[in-house]
Amino acid sequence: MATLNPPIRSASSRPPSLTASARLRRLARSYTLRVFAQAVVTVWAVITFTFFLIRLMPGNPVDVYIDFLMNQQNITYEEARARAASQFKFDPDANIFVQYGEYMGRLIQLDLGESITSTGTRVIEQIARFLPWTVFSVGLGLFISFILGVTIGTIMAYLRNSWLDNLFSLLASILGAVPNYIWGLLILIVFGVQLQWFQVGALRGTYNSSLTPGFNLTFLLSVLTHAALPVLVYVLGSIGRWMLNMRNSTIGTLGEDYVSVARARGLPPSRILLAYVGRNAALPMFTLLAIDIGFIIGGSVIIEELFVYKGIGSFLFWSISQRDYTSMQGVFLVITISVVFSNVLADLLYSQLDPRVRVGGGEK
Amino acid sequence: MSESVLRIDDLSIVYRTARGLVRATSHVSFSLAKGETIALIGESGSGKTTLSLALIRMLPAAAQITSGAIHYTRNGQTRNVLSLSPGDMRAFRWKECAMVFQGAQNAFNPVLRIRQQFADTAAAHGIKDPEVVKARTLELLRLVRLDPQRVYDAYPHEMSGGMKQRALLALGVLLDPQVVILDEPTTALDILTQRAIIDVLNEMQKRLNFSIIFISHDLALAAEMADRVATMYAGEIVELAPVAEMFYRPHHPYTLGLLRSVPKLDQRRDDLVSIPGDPPNLIDPPSGCKFHPRCQFATDHCHQEAPPLVEYTPGHFAACWHTDKVAAARSGFIDLKEVKKDDRS
Repeated sequence: MATLNPPIRSASSRPPSLTASARLRRLARSYTLRVFAQAVVTVWAVITFTFFLIRLMPGNPVDVYIDFLMNQQNITYEEARARAASQFKFDPDANIFVQYGEYMGRLIQLDLGESITSTGTRVIEQIARFLPWTVFSVGLGLFISFILGVTIGTIMAYLRNSWLDNLFSLLASILGAVPNYIWGLLILIVFGVQLQWFQVGALRGTYNSSLTPGFNLTFLLSVLTHAALPVLVYVLGSIGRWMLNMRNSTIGTLGEDYVSVARARGLPPSRILLAYVGRNAALPMFTLLAIDIGFIIGGSVIIEELFVYKGIGSFLFWSISQRDYTSMQGVFLVITISVVFSNVLADLLYSQLDPRVRVGGGEK
Repeated sequence: MSESVLRIDDLSIVYRTARGLVRATSHVSFSLAKGETIALIGESGSGKTTLSLALIRMLPAAAQITSGAIHYTRNGQTRNVLSLSPGDMRAFRWKECAMVFQGAQNAFNPVLRIRQQFADTAAAHGIKDPEVVKARTLELLRLVRLDPQRVYDAYPHEMSGGMKQRALLALGVLLDPQVVILDEPTTALDILTQRAIIDVLNEMQKRLNFSIIFISHDLALAAEMADRVATMYAGEIVELAPVAEMFYRPHHPYTLGLLRSVPKLDQRRDDLVSIPGDPPNLIDPPSGCKFHPRCQFATDHCHQEAPPLVEYTPGHFAACWHTDKVAAARSGFIDLKEVKKDDRS
């Protein structure tokens, strides 16, 4: 052993000039670029898959509309068919690959097309109208659930095997085992219908429709009351997982040598809790959090439908029932992108929080 | 070397377990002088680590101190560590008595830089001036022969095992403690790094004049480091002697057994003797001398009555009824040229 101090970080000594091909090779090896290319390919594969999959569903927008007309207005199939044909630009009999080609051609120009059933409405406008409400309600639920769950989980770990820990563990297992729409139904039926603690009908929508949106207290309160139940359901549905994950992660961290050493060093308990235990125990939680962000939209469909909360989830539900292919594709695209990019985000976030996985963060 | 910094009196610790009380240490007494190094040797489970954890009151929750006192003296003032308030205890840890644990590989928080962890330690004991802390940190890192600038800003994972161990030693003396407990400080390190650590330790001790409680299975290391050696068996100190005495003239059959079980380069394999039997059950320990079931010299007396720790020659204590027989046995075994002692004693 020539030296007892191996180099901590090898100083990157780049050769002064590079050939073009060397530059290209470096570009191909670049971590960020690879991650990005992978993300783009994933998004493309998913939208292609959904494009064909939703067309395999029984019925198409025209058939759904013909059914609707026949039932509502008591007219013959031929009449309804003619009316539908004049109403829709969409031709269900067109070659599916031609449709796919047109769709992809527009998508490359960032054009999501027009809604099939609401002629004249652009899909991007629909998404812009409904998405913020979902991001707000699910995001708020996720935030509350994360903060509460991580805090309670830490307390459980510190008091492990006490009656409090056992009680919370039981509670968390129950919360985690029951899907969130069951909580939604229970709340609606028990507190809304049976006990009548709130007016089920009055809470429809994202805010009281007699108000004009604006930055005033009445409107904001209305927004909050309308979001309260969906948010509560999102919290109930996910908090158990945060509690148990954080509890287990913290118990693991409490057993680490560096925590014992920190106590032996006479550090104040608050410092040990935050910088030594909490910081390390919460690391895996942030990965889970980032991944959860990706499922904000997909996870909201049933709950929004249940509470008649007009977000992107209820819009998706409506599009599916109408077989509105372009709207569905638009929402699926948003879901795909958010899932894929939140995973990338998880990677980047983790590398920021944990110096050990920082890209290029020193030798092994 | 006369002033005593730590005096342990009649310390007994039990662990409450589902199967009963485990008597981890029983009636342990010894004192540690300023600048002195005492080595605790003995098998796993003999109570060495329990004893050292008790000194900074970091025993697991299941442990209970059933008797004894730990007197700590600084500047002529003596306090009983066992009766310190939680706040005083926190101030006592590291400032007065630092402990370098087994497995320093994970002793540093992986998400904080080394400088932050030094600063945390200083701040916890009221030293907040960043310039003072930085100067002291760099000085100590240099003392343990690390590249101060590089290690100062490094994360733990950017350092090798030996570097971390040395950084931990530097951290150990950051607050100028009087006592440093080293629990197997060199296990899991390669032989060259071990050598470097020991050299660094000796140099630091010479400079800073702290006392060391050195826990090791490695008798050669203990022989090299220690001024005095205490052999522990089943939670008791069975022999306590200056290092040369201990290795040249062991009085207790267990110490002799430990020495015999160390392989030597110039020894035939048949001469290597292990101690027969297993460490005793500490829930229901043997009657009389706890070593008697494994002892070749045991008699009925040993079975019935536990031998007291008696001073045979000045400073050499042993708890055995048959030290004469041990003396006869060791003369056939101890070969003077094998036990080396460095020039410090």
